[in-house]
Amino acid sequence: MSNASKGRIDCRNIGVVFGSGDAQTEAVKDVSITVEPHEFVSLIGPSGCGKSSLLSIVAGFTKPTRGTATLDGVPIRKPGAERGVVFQQYSLFPWLRVRENVEFGQKMAGVSRAKRESTARTLLGLAGLLAFENHYPDQLSGGMKQRIGIVRALAANPQVLLMDEPFGALDTQTRTVMQEILTNMWQRFRLSVLFITHDIEEAVFLSDRIYVMTARPGRVKAEIRVPLPRPRTPAMFDTPEFVELVHRLKNLIREESLAAMGSELASGGVGGFGIEMGPNGVEEML
Amino acid sequence: MERSFDLKVDSDARTSPERAPKIRRLRAPSSRSARALGTKAALAGVSIGMLFLLWYLATRYRVQFYIRFHDVPTPLEVFGEARHMVGSHKFAVDVGSSVRRIFAGFFIALLSGVGLGLLIGRYRIVSQLLTPAIEVMRPIPAIAWVPLSIMLWPTTESSIVFITFIGAFYPILLNVVDGVESLDGVLLRAGRCLGASEAQLFWHVILPGVLPNIFTGLTVGMGVAWVSLIAAEMISGQYGVGYYTWEAYSLVDYPAIVLGMITIGALGLLCGGAIRLVGQWSMPWLSYMNGARK
Repeated sequence: MSNASKGRIDCRNIGVVFGSGDAQTEAVKDVSITVEPHEFVSLIGPSGCGKSSLLSIVAGFTKPTRGTATLDGVPIRKPGAERGVVFQQYSLFPWLRVRENVEFGQKMAGVSRAKRESTARTLLGLAGLLAFENHYPDQLSGGMKQRIGIVRALAANPQVLLMDEPFGALDTQTRTVMQEILTNMWQRFRLSVLFITHDIEEAVFLSDRIYVMTARPGRVKAEIRVPLPRPRTPAMFDTPEFVELVHRLKNLIREESLAAMGSELASGGVGGFGIEMGPNGVEEML
Repeated sequence: MERSFDLKVDSDARTSPERAPKIRRLRAPSSRSARALGTKAALAGVSIGMLFLLWYLATRYRVQFYIRFHDVPTPLEVFGEARHMVGSHKFAVDVGSSVRRIFAGFFIALLSGVGLGLLIGRYRIVSQLLTPAIEVMRPIPAIAWVPLSIMLWPTTESSIVFITFIGAFYPILLNVVDGVESLDGVLLRAGRCLGASEAQLFWHVILPGVLPNIFTGLTVGMGVAWVSLIAAEMISGQYGVGYYTWEAYSLVDYPAIVLGMITIGALGLLCGGAIRLVGQWSMPWLSYMNGARK
């Protein structure tokens, strides 16, 4: 499973422009980010800052308008098994049982049935999902589907893992558990991970390094190293370092979110939407 | 490290509501499901019984109110004809010819409809090349092809198979194209990220992904294939249940007309049921999807 000092993602001067003519919008502007081998890097920023665009460039789904993205020095042109992707939407194949889903990558690579079955069972066991190996995805809860999505990506033996808000659709409790499972899995496999999220606590808890992006057009506003020790545990959520870092990031993001919402808020203020309200609140106004 | 990891997973599983294997389709207690099944069978019996009762009453009392039941045979007369015909050599030949024609036409439509549908749905260039021609030909009903088909094909048999094929082809093709076009893009992206080549994507993602659409197309296509076959047999056939029914009309053999109709209905029902069974067997995962049925 380990790929000794391989899995370096390098994005240089990436620019993304959608549309043409008057309808042209610049989604990403001159972004350079790296993920070192075995490093867990998060990309956070207000919605529409182009963080998902960056991930889909690294995944090979889209080509940047400007700049280059490479994996271990090789330019990325199309999707490939060396870059595993975990999607925000559920992406398990509904016609395959859980274990067949996990075996999919190795099956495409021509790995023998016995070998891929044992890989799948080992990984499902680690994720606490072996009991469900013969279930169909539609029989499972959202959290389980997402865990299987991660296991499926890992089973294809990628050098890097790209995760696009993988827990975005889950409820808060499930989310917390999933973050814990993910950090434990990462501790075990030490893959390079590029993780997209808008959840600041999630980014701090999981990452070695965090890039904060600006509002559209997305640029790198700040790059912050997370000083928390490994392995990460839920107890760290309450440490002063954690709280302080989250606070700092929140302020950075808040500035950008305000900038993104533009002048209509600036004129009225965020608190009152520019409306004076009496003691009876909304009711009085109607 | 490994130990602490395993511990984590375990504690998660203990507190998580996902612990117990969750099966969406809860089985009802057996007495209740037996009663439900009994109700279903009883209602089906009433439904079909009413049909026969109306038929019996209308023909027994020779009802006439604009439509005339004067010459329509009673259920008993048809039953007598059936006892006489079913098992006879002539009847077996007729049923056999029709079934053979259906299978040939339907099978060719299945292969070409699914194959072309996948290519048209997947590749814009193929779609732009073929869709205009298909859309121009499609409004011509299979029955309208009968005269030209007789001219085109060297034997009556092949021309009837061709008409059956025409009937089945469009529903299959359109459903497959629609299936490919509406396939969730994230499944294709997932397949490519897991290393699937274009050919593997076709075989392991697109084909199973559109299987439900294929079976919808097959069910509709089978229905239209029977319509087309019967029409073709009535016009140009020798042998076949359509020919049998039309011949009965020409020979003023009224019970045979109705027997022919019932035979056609039964064969269509059998073919449709067979497709549904194969569909359920080859797509077991569909029973876990939540539809809108109450």
